[in-house]
Amino acid sequence: MAKTLFEWDYSGFPGAEKYPHLFKPIQLGNLMVPNRVKYAATEENLNAHDGFVTDAGVAYMRERAKGVVGGLCFMQGVYMDEKRQGQGYVGQAAAWDDKFIPGLKRIADALHEERAVAGFQLMDCGRVGAVEVDYCHGPSAVPQRLRIFKPVQEMTRDDIKAVVQQHVDAARRGVEAGFDVMEISGIVGYLISNFISSYTNRRTDEYGGDIRGRMRAVVEIIEGVKAACGPDIPVGIRLCSEELLDDVRGNTIEESMESYKISEEAGVDYISCTLGWQESIYPVISRDIPMGNWIHLAKRAKEHVKVPIQMAYRLFKPGLPNEKIGAGELDFWEICRSMIADPLMPKKVLEGKEEEVRHCVACNLCLARLFRDAPMTCYINPVCAHESDPEFTDPPAAEEEKEVMIVGAGPAGLECAYMAASRGHEVHVYDKRDVIGGTLNEAKNAPYGDDELWTCIEYQKVMCEKAGVEFHLGTEVTEALIEEEVPDTVVLATGPVYPEIESAAKNSDKVVNLLDVMSGKAEVGEKVVIWGNRKPGIGCALHLAKQGKKVTIVGKERTAGFDINPSFKWRYMIYMRQSGIVAYNDCDIVEVTEEGVTVQTYDGVRWQVACDTIVVSERATNDNLKKVVQSEGIELFVVGDALIPRNLSSAVHDGYRIGMRV
Amino acid sequence: MPVNVEKELSQSWKRLHGAQAEIGKTFYRWRQVALEFAGDEVAPLDVSLRAAEIFGKDISKSFLPRLNWLKGEEGFMLILGKALAGIWNTDGAIAKVEKGDNPGEIFIKCSRDPWPTWAKEFGVPMEEVALCRERMYQSILEDVGAFMNIPLKVEMQKAISRGQGETVMRLYKA
Ligand SMILES: Cc1cc2nc3c(=O)[nH]c(=O)nc-3n(C[C@H](O)[C@H](O)[C@H](O)COP(=O)(O)OP(=O)(O)OC[C@H]3O[C@@H](n4cnc5c(N)ncnc54)[C@H](O)[C@@H]3O)c2cc1C
Ligand SMILES: Cc1cc2nc3c(=O)[nH]c(=O)nc-3n(C[C@H](O)[C@H](O)[C@H](O)COP(=O)(O)O)c2cc1C
Repeated sequence: MAKTLFEWDYSGFPGAEKYPHLFKPIQLGNLMVPNRVKYAATEENLNAHDGFVTDAGVAYMRERAKGVVGGLCFMQGVYMDEKRQGQGYVGQAAAWDDKFIPGLKRIADALHEERAVAGFQLMDCGRVGAVEVDYCHGPSAVPQRLRIFKPVQEMTRDDIKAVVQQHVDAARRGVEAGFDVMEISGIVGYLISNFISSYTNRRTDEYGGDIRGRMRAVVEIIEGVKAACGPDIPVGIRLCSEELLDDVRGNTIEESMESYKISEEAGVDYISCTLGWQESIYPVISRDIPMGNWIHLAKRAKEHVKVPIQMAYRLFKPGLPNEKIGAGELDFWEICRSMIADPLMPKKVLEGKEEEVRHCVACNLCLARLFRDAPMTCYINPVCAHESDPEFTDPPAAEEEKEVMIVGAGPAGLECAYMAASRGHEVHVYDKRDVIGGTLNEAKNAPYGDDELWTCIEYQKVMCEKAGVEFHLGTEVTEALIEEEVPDTVVLATGPVYPEIESAAKNSDKVVNLLDVMSGKAEVGEKVVIWGNRKPGIGCALHLAKQGKKVTIVGKERTAGFDINPSFKWRYMIYMRQSGIVAYNDCDIVEVTEEGVTVQTYDGVRWQVACDTIVVSERATNDNLKKVVQSEGIELFVVGDALIPRNLSSAVHDGYRIGMRV
Repeated sequence: MPVNVEKELSQSWKRLHGAQAEIGKTFYRWRQVALEFAGDEVAPLDVSLRAAEIFGKDISKSFLPRLNWLKGEEGFMLILGKALAGIWNTDGAIAKVEKGDNPGEIFIKCSRDPWPTWAKEFGVPMEEVALCRERMYQSILEDVGAFMNIPLKVEMQKAISRGQGETVMRLYKA
């Protein structure tokens, strides 16, 4: 009989009725797991730099454990070698010695206290490792494609034996710490995948050659880890189902599927289906990739093996995984970034509170932070990585109830509104528009997935309603209105102002505002110059290029899109190139003429660009209404783009923090 | 103020050429520094060749993200040849590529090379210029070859001093 760790009864929960396949049990090895939800292992750089677990790391995991409502909850992959060649992140947890067991036990205990199944992951980062030392290790010394990674040292046979043993020892430590499921990570170019791939394994000894040879080290690891874990602890592996490395002669799909079969023969109890590599030229999880794009790979995996198949990758909503599990094409819904954005996401689904989910916008800031040796943060979730700080997780009730006037129902205003109201203030949100959402009403029309930004507003709307925020839409806040209302506090969330092009006076009929273009209100000619080379300008440029317009961007930043995080920016650069968009960076418009504009570089070289329309996407700080608020002696806060024009993330983070303080 | 195209272009052109001249001068100034520190026992050519190797190693890092085997052997070699010629052109040369007799062979032909002139200014032998270019390219190709698992070589077939005539290099799959 399979062992059950915690009893869970989902009957009566609306989510279990709506998504019946997600909330039914499944057997992994000799363990019965009550549902099909898994929080997938996630590095967060929250551990101490010597690999010891911290309070912040434990609190982070505890929140995710609440979210899986009895399902699998995996801690981040641990590195296992004292030399730290396998360490890929400065704050990665370690398990190369018994001294780490007490810290790891704190995580296992926290997960058990939330009645989740606790997962431990072994992750030698291979050619992506050595973050603190000079050389990483791998089966062959294939040069790095990406500059940020360290040179690779070819492993000797003894090195390989040592790494196998390190996996076995670390697995034993995980078991001693109290974890219930063991996972070997062979994801995105880490050591396991380095051995399997023909791109990185050029060995001619028994650890190289054909796919069986390249799988030898993996098989030894699986067998050793299985033996260390015993019959009661299921052992799984994350394996690449499609490397997307054809351009550098990586594995064929047949070889990848062979690696699944060989792992199954070696005794794994489940396989987590992954794809892509850090070094692949194809995007896999950014916002431009539609949700559900990769789910067919799980089906293919199931056609090759009998063990349960788990899969993540842009499965941000419960409908599709539920359907695929029902159809027998998937067994487990893995979730990573959606639970960075909202740790309680599956719990809310179960409880029928889907509209209260704060959705991930697939911007990959979380990843970008890790590769810059910074603790993880989330673009959209201000509490992420602050789970151990009660001021963030449970902001104290207001000492005295205030009447708070929030000017602007964009993301900054809305975030601030529900937070302040939930702390006991009387909150009134004003917007001169008839609708909430601010600039996102226009931003969501930009191509390549920007409609997903709107999920933030949907979430905030529900939270505002729950907290009793009062809306005054279609009402412009003027000095007179403030003098009339005299609230205790004013929060200016008015968004940016769009400066004028001074030299455009004579030809101002050519000049239009970005928001009018994005909403379709402005007439735009065939040749367009966009003034401003940050993300709003780029979004608008791509929107117009899709209509067949010839677009040139002129902007003051040294590089176009410097405000897009590096893990996503490269996608935009490719789309711009493919759309024929020319960007003149480090430049400004110095003159608007009958024919077009005169562009000038930072050092004074000038030329003309012909165009019919000039779109203003440059933004500036919004000082309107500040003076009157101050002169009335009213408490004043300025948030979001009104403070400094930035992005959705800053708007949400500003709003949340001011909502906590007001 | 209307744009005076001739003025803007000539100004940019002057700046570009000034910057290009600095590339060569900076290299040879540093060569002098290195020789001073290295002392008399070290052959100047060895120092320059080592520098060329280090340059090549670093430049190869920007090559690797762009390599793509899906273009087939001929396409791959052509792009590689163009990238090598491109480095030369950035310095102010006119270098072009021609397909060879088989898909694994490319010729890089340079009809204007500023390096011999710069070398002369610093009293550096012409031979060193040609050997350094060959070594730098070879050093790039070592990483490219290791990355793609294909042995690649380059050889200087004709080196013309002081930049007159045409320098010919052969890039091939060994
Ligand atoms: C085309 C485009 C693409 C973009 N792409 C991205 C992206 O990919 N990622 C990203 O993070 N950001 C993106 N942005 C930027 C993002 O939309 C803004 O940074 C964000 O909306 C700022 O939020 P906010 O609440 O500070 O201000 P806003 O959203 O501008 O909201 C301000 C609100 O205040 C109201 N208001 C102003 N004055 C008054 C007044 N006196 N009385 C009443 N109401 C008033 C306005 O009507 C408006 O509704 C994009 C923007 C555009 C235009
Ligand atoms: C910030 C971050 C950290 C990750 N860390 C790990 C890890 O430690 N081990 C692992 O196997 N996968 C790791 N992954 C991959 C995820 O588990 C997951 O497979 C991937 O993000 C795709 O799922 P998603 O679309 O739900 O985010 C990480 C992903 C992210 C975004």
